[in-house]
Amino acid sequence: MNWFRGSWAVLQKDLRLEMRSRYALNMLLMFVLSSLLLIAFSVGKEAVSERMQTALLWIVILFSASIGLGRSFVAEEEQGTVLLLQLNVPGSQVFAGKLIFNLILLLAVDVVGLGVFAILLNMPIENWGLLALTLLLGSVALAGATTLLAAIIARATNKGPLLPVLLFPLLVPLLLSVVRASRSALDGGLGFPGATEDLQTIALFAGVVITAAVLLFDYVWTD
Amino acid sequence: MPNEPYSSVDSTFIHLLGGPVVSLKRYLIVRNIVIFWMTCVILAAFLLPIPKINILEHTARNLYFHVPMWFTMMAAVFVSAWHSFQVLKTGDLVPDIRALQAARVGAFFGILGLLTGIVWSKFTWYVGTDVWWNFDPRQSMVSLQLLIYGAYFVLRSALDDPDKRARISAVYNLFSATTTPFLLYVIPRQMESLHPGAEGNPAFSEITHPVMRLVFYPAIIGFIGLFWVVYSQRVRVALLKYRVTRDPEL
Repeated sequence: MNWFRGSWAVLQKDLRLEMRSRYALNMLLMFVLSSLLLIAFSVGKEAVSERMQTALLWIVILFSASIGLGRSFVAEEEQGTVLLLQLNVPGSQVFAGKLIFNLILLLAVDVVGLGVFAILLNMPIENWGLLALTLLLGSVALAGATTLLAAIIARATNKGPLLPVLLFPLLVPLLLSVVRASRSALDGGLGFPGATEDLQTIALFAGVVITAAVLLFDYVWTD
Repeated sequence: MPNEPYSSVDSTFIHLLGGPVVSLKRYLIVRNIVIFWMTCVILAAFLLPIPKINILEHTARNLYFHVPMWFTMMAAVFVSAWHSFQVLKTGDLVPDIRALQAARVGAFFGILGLLTGIVWSKFTWYVGTDVWWNFDPRQSMVSLQLLIYGAYFVLRSALDDPDKRARISAVYNLFSATTTPFLLYVIPRQMESLHPGAEGNPAFSEITHPVMRLVFYPAIIGFIGLFWVVYSQRVRVALLKYRVTRDPEL
């Protein structure tokens, strides 16, 4: 029980700070909105194929994750609260709290991104359940990878645009699977039967990434 | 006494790093064997007759160079990941130097394999077309591994303190090693392959003649030996540089 209480405390702290400043959330949503509008303007009235739509949607989600979620540990470093956290909460609980917080932010990005994208590009969504499940599983995997890498870049001297460089090569297997699974949820897709293998891959990827991240996190977090 | 400087250098390492790190004697023996071995392999690769294979003709000799480069890169990835694991286990700097140099040399062999593959396919299957890059699964996988190593090198340059750099880059190296196996499963279902054994393509054993295997298997051993020679040489140079400047990066 203590483990959950510690993680919950970290999550609660992050949520409360976020509610006060709304910096991460606003930045993420503005990034999603502006990049989606850029896509919509540059595509114009031309019909975009379903495969292309899912690819663009997921690329926007990946980029916003790599830009917005990097702050979670950098902020601790900037505010000088790292030592306090290290003393009070074991590493795995810090990781769990931050992971859930990042997941919440990502789900907000998913909802807003999908809604705006569906309207702007006329996404023909057939199977809402499948699309929601793909977005959820994909976001869990994405949050797992991003949380560990955010802890890594908080340790770097030049933080700048390091997170996308570290993140994207690792996420290619995930990207390929989520794009295919989302494609199955659109008009002309195969629905659940066509996406089971991809969903299994995404779930497995999420499990492996989060397990590895939990095991490796202590080496990054403690000096 | 020609051995004098080496032994004094070795004894400095023993004091500095808590044990002999690289045996110069072993290095010299392996290096001479590899030089002899690779000379034989290269001569055999160009001089021995090969069976006539459709489309490939004499470019099939590239098999002796292109494929062992892949194998060497895979071996280097394992060596690098293993030493990154040792960094986390012991907190020592020597395995970090080894992990970095294995990644550097492995990336070099990966680039060589990529280039030989691109040129090979361009002048056989794609002759008369403008296709240089065709999203072959293995091509994609190795380019991603190169990207990961690129990110690994960038991350290293962003960390100043040697101990922190060793630990955190080891974490990234191991973390990337957990995600790349998914590529083996995900990518082949999305892309068509030119390589033997893939759907519709003849298996490796069907297109290779016993004569070719006579050269091919020794070539794999020779290339991995070549990797070891370059890698351990770079490890020694990095250790020397560390001794002089306190910075092991080459």
